[in-house]
Amino acid sequence: MAEMWIHMGPQHPMTHGLWNLRIKVNGETITDAVPELGYLHRSVEKIGERRKYFMNTTLTDRLCYASAMTWTHCYCLAAEELMGVVAPPRAQYIRTAVLELQRIASHLMWLGAYLPDLGLITGFLYGMRDREMFLNLLEIPSGGRLLYNYVKIGGVKRDLPPGFEAKAERVMQTLERRLKEYENLYDNSKIFRMRNDGVGVYSASDAINWGITGPNLRSAGVPFDLRQADSYDAYPELDFEPVTNTAAGGGSDCFSRYRQRVDEMHQSMDLVRQALAKMPEGRVMADSVPLRASGEAFRRTEDSRGEALMYLVGDGSDRPYRWKIRSPMFTTVSAAPHFLKGYKVADVPAIMGSIDMCIGETDK
Amino acid sequence: METGQLVQQLTQHDGASDGSVLRSNVGRISITREASHSFFSTLKNDFGFDHCSLISAVDNQTGFELVYHFSIVDAAGQMLEVHIDLPRDTPTVDSITHLWGGADWHEREAYDLMGIYFIGHPDLKRVLLPDGFAGHPLRKDYVYEIHEEEW
Amino acid sequence: MSRQQVRGNPRMRKGLGSRTSDPATMMEDPPSGDWLTLRSDQFLNWVDDAVYNIAEKTGIRDVVNRVTRPIFNWGLRYSPWPLHLGIMCCALEMGAAGGPDHDSERMGVVYRSSPRQCDILIVNGPVCEKLRPKLKTLYEQMADPKWVIAMGECAIGGGPYWDSYSVVAGADTFMPVDVYIPGCPVRPEALMHGFLTLQKKIREKEPGYFLRR
Repeated sequence: MAEMWIHMGPQHPMTHGLWNLRIKVNGETITDAVPELGYLHRSVEKIGERRKYFMNTTLTDRLCYASAMTWTHCYCLAAEELMGVVAPPRAQYIRTAVLELQRIASHLMWLGAYLPDLGLITGFLYGMRDREMFLNLLEIPSGGRLLYNYVKIGGVKRDLPPGFEAKAERVMQTLERRLKEYENLYDNSKIFRMRNDGVGVYSASDAINWGITGPNLRSAGVPFDLRQADSYDAYPELDFEPVTNTAAGGGSDCFSRYRQRVDEMHQSMDLVRQALAKMPEGRVMADSVPLRASGEAFRRTEDSRGEALMYLVGDGSDRPYRWKIRSPMFTTVSAAPHFLKGYKVADVPAIMGSIDMCIGETDK
Repeated sequence: METGQLVQQLTQHDGASDGSVLRSNVGRISITREASHSFFSTLKNDFGFDHCSLISAVDNQTGFELVYHFSIVDAAGQMLEVHIDLPRDTPTVDSITHLWGGADWHEREAYDLMGIYFIGHPDLKRVLLPDGFAGHPLRKDYVYEIHEEEW
Repeated sequence: MSRQQVRGNPRMRKGLGSRTSDPATMMEDPPSGDWLTLRSDQFLNWVDDAVYNIAEKTGIRDVVNRVTRPIFNWGLRYSPWPLHLGIMCCALEMGAAGGPDHDSERMGVVYRSSPRQCDILIVNGPVCEKLRPKLKTLYEQMADPKWVIAMGECAIGGGPYWDSYSVVAGADTFMPVDVYIPGCPVRPEALMHGFLTLQKKIREKEPGYFLRR
């Protein structure tokens, strides 16, 4: 049978953003794939060189809009490293708590986007309903619904208001109750299992070689979590172990990636509780934050989607000389042709949905 | 292996210099362009750096500087920062895609935005910008028009 | 004339979209004056002209329009189907507006994935140079009557990326925009207000003709 190329994108319900997947098919079987990016290339790295250090948090918030807090936090950590500033202990604990709340919101967004890909519209409604609770929770200290600008160089913008712990606890209890319901619903659904089990398989060694990080790597059974391996903020003082999952035949498949994110939501709720319980009193902003910096520094953090790394070079002025962003999805998408080969066209939404695409950070 | 010990051992390699320790688990080293090929093979095969985090290209006006971040996928999370200086008129370096598959698109991005040529890369073409784009926008001498409106 | 030439512009088969919309470059016109040799689209035009002229001359058109105008206008107002196209941050708020908390479906807003089935193009993010031709194609693929909503600062004027080398300074530089919704990002409530504003605009500006010309 003759082979042919099919374009999926830039406007396609599968893409969750703007990118183009060209697949070469033989009948229904994929024989080659070429992802094409750049439809959302906003040149953040270039225009960041025209802005002052503290102004760039506006851009980092908009890097990955599903997980704005973690990206701004990564930038602030790198800038703090460059300037030699350390955030006060209370700010570090607040950061840890809001980062984990953001991670839950991001994973719920993924759940709400992934299940309609498989034809389960109910999943979208459930995911969006529960995500709203966390957005409202994050709106309390920051004032923003989606983009917060809450983490600042040298601390956080303002202290948590009184009563935040009780509200967070109530929201998390609701989510725990509902997650149990969803797990029963999805794990036992035959249609869900048939579309997920053994689809999009890659092994742990391949994933490491291709540069896949984060939940996509841990779902292959590799306990690599930067919150523990390259620890930052209050994470060293919290008690947790990286959660992992593996597919039935080893490696990672769509189902283990789904399980991984659900398990991480449970873990994040545990971390939020620990951080809120151990939170010390004190200031939330460092005494003085310099405007100018020189030298070079980088920090990497565990984003909701994998390893985020920001590399900053300063030349003594108040603007960064060079600012480089490592996006976890950029490398994961580059590996997509490897784990798409051999599957059917109908599996593409399941596979590409399960790796949690976010084009904002990928195209920078 | 201790980071200090690691940097010391790596400094023994041909063309390596400026070994230092940035943080408890992060080392830094400079390497010449000619020695980079064998240095990276050693790094991957003998020292177990199995993850290429990032390749950043910096335009230093007089020349280019490539900054590689490598790490080990384990609980210690050791990292190494490798610097390579490139002359401005011939910004070429050997590709590392045969060692780390994840370096593929990072090299393409460095070519796309900064104009660094990676010799031996299987598919070196633009990744973010459209094909017909002129120039490499992240270079400091790239000039473009800003639509600034008077208020 | 060989068959190859009648097949016309080879670009069309490469899928270059809007560049082939001019029928003169696609196919040579058959000799004029002979309606038996008309191509299908020419035949439809011919029939349209005939029906329109008769309806106009006899006054039937005015009568029919007066009767059906409120019905068509009502139908247009309460079924504004936007295209399911997510560009950036505002796309998530668009999703939230369609979610259970805000539920924009009660206003008849149903997201469709094919531009052929849509009335509204929501530009919910910055338009980059690489995206601009594709967005233009999407707009041209939509059937009339159609409207464009510029959602958020990026689509209105570039937003935080105003000095970028790759972002177009607003969606209205290359396509007509009907409703502008400010905000960065736009809250779901503001998007709902934008839909209501569009409804108002349709009520006032779009009579809903039975036979449009």
